[in-house]
Amino acid sequence: MAPERVIIKGTSNGIIVTIGAGNWKTILRQLAQKLEQRSSFFKGGRVAVAVGERLLNEEELEALGVLLAEHHMTLWAVYSNAPDTQAAAKALGLEAEPANAPAVAQKTGRAARTPPTEPTENVTTIRRTLRSGQTVESLGNVVVIGDVNPGAVIKAGGYVIIWGNLRGTVYAGAVSPENAFVAALELKPVQLIIGDAIARAPADERRRTIIPEIAFVQDGQIVAEAWRKK
Amino acid sequence: MAGKVVTITSGKGGVGKTTTTANLSAALAIAGKKVVAIDADIGLRNLDVVMGLENRIVYDLVDVVEGTCRLKQALIRDKRVEGLYLIPAAQTRDKTAVSPEDMIALCDELRQEFDFILIDSPAGIEQGFKNAMSPADRVLIVTTPEISAVRDADRIIGLLEAAGKGPGDLIINRLRADMVQRGDMLDISDVVDVLAIKLIGVIPDDESIIISTNKGVPVIFENNSRASTAFKNISRRLNGEDVPFLNLQPEASFFQKLARFWNGG
Repeated sequence: MAPERVIIKGTSNGIIVTIGAGNWKTILRQLAQKLEQRSSFFKGGRVAVAVGERLLNEEELEALGVLLAEHHMTLWAVYSNAPDTQAAAKALGLEAEPANAPAVAQKTGRAARTPPTEPTENVTTIRRTLRSGQTVESLGNVVVIGDVNPGAVIKAGGYVIIWGNLRGTVYAGAVSPENAFVAALELKPVQLIIGDAIARAPADERRRTIIPEIAFVQDGQIVAEAWRKK
Repeated sequence: MAGKVVTITSGKGGVGKTTTTANLSAALAIAGKKVVAIDADIGLRNLDVVMGLENRIVYDLVDVVEGTCRLKQALIRDKRVEGLYLIPAAQTRDKTAVSPEDMIALCDELRQEFDFILIDSPAGIEQGFKNAMSPADRVLIVTTPEISAVRDADRIIGLLEAAGKGPGDLIINRLRADMVQRGDMLDISDVVDVLAIKLIGVIPDDESIIISTNKGVPVIFENNSRASTAFKNISRRLNGEDVPFLNLQPEASFFQKLARFWNGG
């Protein structure tokens, strides 16, 4: 039996994959196996990898990101003590922090809300319907081509655009609330949070005409208006 | 011959999975197919009761999987129609007694001999659901026109897609046309709109189902109620036939029909 070199842990700050010593290929294989077994559990999650002192180049990190993406997970951060690895992670547009960061983040549980120094302009695109129980998290912006059903959750650092019906829950502007908005062909969310403002879809109107709408924060309150060219 | 494995599931309990399995199995057998229904709800077995075969159980699914008996010994033949068999669930064990690999192996063996293998999935999304899902070639998702059932169906469809089992086909059960007309119940388009998968059948709410369930005689053997016609139509669609959907409107008066005709509907 090969020793366990890969530990996957779910935390309030997303999934953290801790990688021990050993051959990188073997480790990727072990990770793939673990993801295979529990893929539905982790699906849609965002992942930070803690690699300790290990030296990783861009190619190796990219392979890791692709593997995670194949299992519908998004790599967003690398915790490492090696400056070269940190540099490689930054070159790929990932968050890079010292290896002891996750422990701190876990304790305080606040890391998700701490804005990084520069807001990312990454866009995560989802080309399917998000169904109940499925979650998408991104430090950047999120675009969904499809519906977002009740019970599905999107958490985005920036804006969220849904080319479809929004009936689920959206948190937008977790990182950069200033310019965050939520737009959908039909805006009927269970709950909408933009920055610190929270709103629900009005319950009364059952059969109003459906128009694309855009929601944003004005004077600390969420307002929605017709979504058209300005 | 390579039989087709069809799993009937729902997420939420009590929406009519077992009744649907019993009636579709019977309908397919009546149509001349060789059919076996498997109750995957280990520990809470029901299908045998609904099919009226409870008193004939000697061996069950777990016995087959554990090798206590031969597969043939666990097949209970339904004497009411040629070619209908049941493999009951064990009542004394739980879902962990069987693994997805066991189910795949079992179904591969059954495929040699049967045209259709229908699996009655337990409610929930845990081990029992995974067991029922793993061998499926096709999945039927049963829901009722209630928000909670639709929500669970949505979750199930998401899990199916993740497992590469396709989105599945939708059965809407217990629809009450009068309530829909009054706006007190979700209608078909409300449900299909959210779930966005193919509809394979709509079964009207029908008292005769409760009566037949209590008697252990699937309604399809008994009468020509609209529910039994709906089940027959689904079985024909499973067979690849193109069958128009039933008109589930409440009986209209002559003048209403005339007006509908005028309006082109």
